[in-house]
Amino acid sequence: MLTLVAKILKVLNSEASPWQIGWAIALGLFAGVLPFGLLTLLIILIVCLLTINLSTFIVVWGLTSGLMLLLADPLERLTWQYAQHDNLLALLANTETLQLLHLHHTLTLGAFVLGAVLLLPVAWLSKALVLQYRVRIMASVQKWKIMQMLKASKLFALYEKLN
Amino acid sequence: MIIRKSGWLVFIVFFAALLALVYLLAGPAIRLGMVYSLEKTVGAEVNISKVSLELAPLALRINDLQITDAAKPTHNSLSFGHARASLELWPALLGYYVIEELTVDGLQYGAQRSSEGKVYRQPGVEGEKVDIAKLLQVDLPDADELVARANLQTPAKADALKQLAATEQQQLKGLQDQLPTKETLAQYQADIKALTDSKITNAADLAAKAEQLQQLKDKLNAEKAKVAQVKQQLSQSKDSLQQAVAELKAASAADYTKVQQLANLTDGGLAGISQILLGDVWGARIAQLQSLYLLAKPYLPEKTAATEDKTTEPEVVLPNRILPLPGQPYPDFWVKTARVNWLIGGGEATIALQDVTAQHALINSATTFSLDVEQLPQLAAFKLNGDFAIMQQMVTNLNWQLEGLNLQPLTLGKGDTALDLAAGLISSTGKLNLTDDQIAQQASVVLAAANFNSSGNKYLQQLAALLNQQQQIPLNIATSGLISEPDVSIRSSLDKLLGDALLGEAKQKVAAYQSELQAKLNSQLQTALAGQQDWAALLTQQDGAAADASGSIEEMLNAKLADVKDQAKDKLKDKLLNKLGGG
Repeated sequence: MLTLVAKILKVLNSEASPWQIGWAIALGLFAGVLPFGLLTLLIILIVCLLTINLSTFIVVWGLTSGLMLLLADPLERLTWQYAQHDNLLALLANTETLQLLHLHHTLTLGAFVLGAVLLLPVAWLSKALVLQYRVRIMASVQKWKIMQMLKASKLFALYEKLN
Repeated sequence: MIIRKSGWLVFIVFFAALLALVYLLAGPAIRLGMVYSLEKTVGAEVNISKVSLELAPLALRINDLQITDAAKPTHNSLSFGHARASLELWPALLGYYVIEELTVDGLQYGAQRSSEGKVYRQPGVEGEKVDIAKLLQVDLPDADELVARANLQTPAKADALKQLAATEQQQLKGLQDQLPTKETLAQYQADIKALTDSKITNAADLAAKAEQLQQLKDKLNAEKAKVAQVKQQLSQSKDSLQQAVAELKAASAADYTKVQQLANLTDGGLAGISQILLGDVWGARIAQLQSLYLLAKPYLPEKTAATEDKTTEPEVVLPNRILPLPGQPYPDFWVKTARVNWLIGGGEATIALQDVTAQHALINSATTFSLDVEQLPQLAAFKLNGDFAIMQQMVTNLNWQLEGLNLQPLTLGKGDTALDLAAGLISSTGKLNLTDDQIAQQASVVLAAANFNSSGNKYLQQLAALLNQQQQIPLNIATSGLISEPDVSIRSSLDKLLGDALLGEAKQKVAAYQSELQAKLNSQLQTALAGQQDWAALLTQQDGAAADASGSIEEMLNAKLADVKDQAKDKLKDKLLNKLGGG
């Protein structure tokens, strides 16, 4: 748990650009919402190819996957209810690529739509929040006892060294 | 954001690590998942020694699966040596489970375990299993039950007659009060006599007396009408009583014939004794097929009639894993061929299945299956084949051929009607068609080399002896109609034989019942009808009296009027003569 907090604080306080963190959160959320499959691999490829903050992406991905254990069932029901459009079903039936991405699977389709809708707003909001954090809060957080302890810990020294 | 130079490398390393992880951990992960979900379902220990994943071709192999029987933990409910399912890659990438070939070797039911399995949940009431021994475990009815099952009409008709007689008696008593008594009639006559005997003094007196007479006449006519009405009612009640008696006699005769026929059945006649003995049992077994229909029902296309009724709320449908695409390339699951090697009763059986799926319309062919067993210690041969398809309707066809199944000793019936079957060989051929919930089935069952014993009543002892003399005991079973309420017909050329023996006692009872009924009936009828005859005589007499009284009034009235007229004439004559003489 402490390492997780340390990781987040480390990234927030690092030199990484707010956009890199924002996109990492948005894509981590997207990957976490989706059931593991080709779409997830595509997102991972994007994250690897662009300078998106990897630690943030992995943490958010893990957290969202955990959350989906609770949310998958309602999301599947909701998708089943609203996805029964002839045009959509015909498109999915005729395009094998979409089927390869498992978009004809009820949960995957719902998760994809949810992730896609949230992608830009989450990226922008995260970027804005990181900026605000750095301007208003970072200085005081640096003085917190927990931060001092973290900085003194061996683990943190290891992080510092690796970066 | 810029391009990460090492991005591809990171991705490839990640992907390779992922594949390695899946390859190494998929087997144990699937094994843990299977054990967990199976234990949760059956409530007893499940052991799987190994699950492994093969990459080329993509296949899953399960070694040594054992599911503990929760009711008997020293044994397995089901176990197999190994199973292998080879999966087609492209459909699997699209998310459809198309299994090219499934093989299961060493499938066993009820094999002994090396160590006792844990039971997590005590089993509830066990669902009924189709078991030939149990199927034959028939309760032989005693004479009373047979009489009850033969659905006799006489008791009902006798009751109806009794009630009718009682109500008619009641009505007659009510009518009695309405009739004129002898005293009233005598009074009428006295009144008339007094009136007619009196002298008429003048025209006004004449008019008053005529009026009084007319009133009396009206009253008498009313009494006459009452008598006529009572007479009519009496004749009606007589008719209905006679009709009820005729019906009762007919029912009684028909029942007697029916019981006779049960014992002396000719083909095409009344339902045989085998029907009475086995009909319900077979019907109950057939009704178990309903579970198959209920299982398939969610896959059946909705009937057009149901879609017309738009006003009703749409049914809540649980989401399917895959959306209902218009031209789905593969079924959700599809086992193209399956071969199951089944260890049964000291021998082996092979079950072959093709095209196992629930979406037959997509592959345009039915699931076919066949089972072939030969030379088992308890069974000479058993062949079963059939097909199953869910398209516009669920259609199941089944053909079987069973030869020489050794029967375990069993007891039919209990107590006084117990019949022991020490040994016997069963053979059967038949076919079955199930279309949605409509069944059509035909089978012939032959029991050969049967050895019956009975220590029960003399009829059953006779029956046992008779049955033992037979080389074969054949039964023809046909079923049609709705699975939940099948219409079963069972015929046997031995029906007469069985009927004679089994119904011997019943026939005696029916005969005794018949004579008792006859006696009761006669006495009942006599009281009911004798009462009526008395009444009829009384009524005729009263009717006559009323008619007499009415007739004499008429006469007297006419005579009196004539008399008055004469008197009036005389008076006129006198007056005229006086005037003429005086003038």
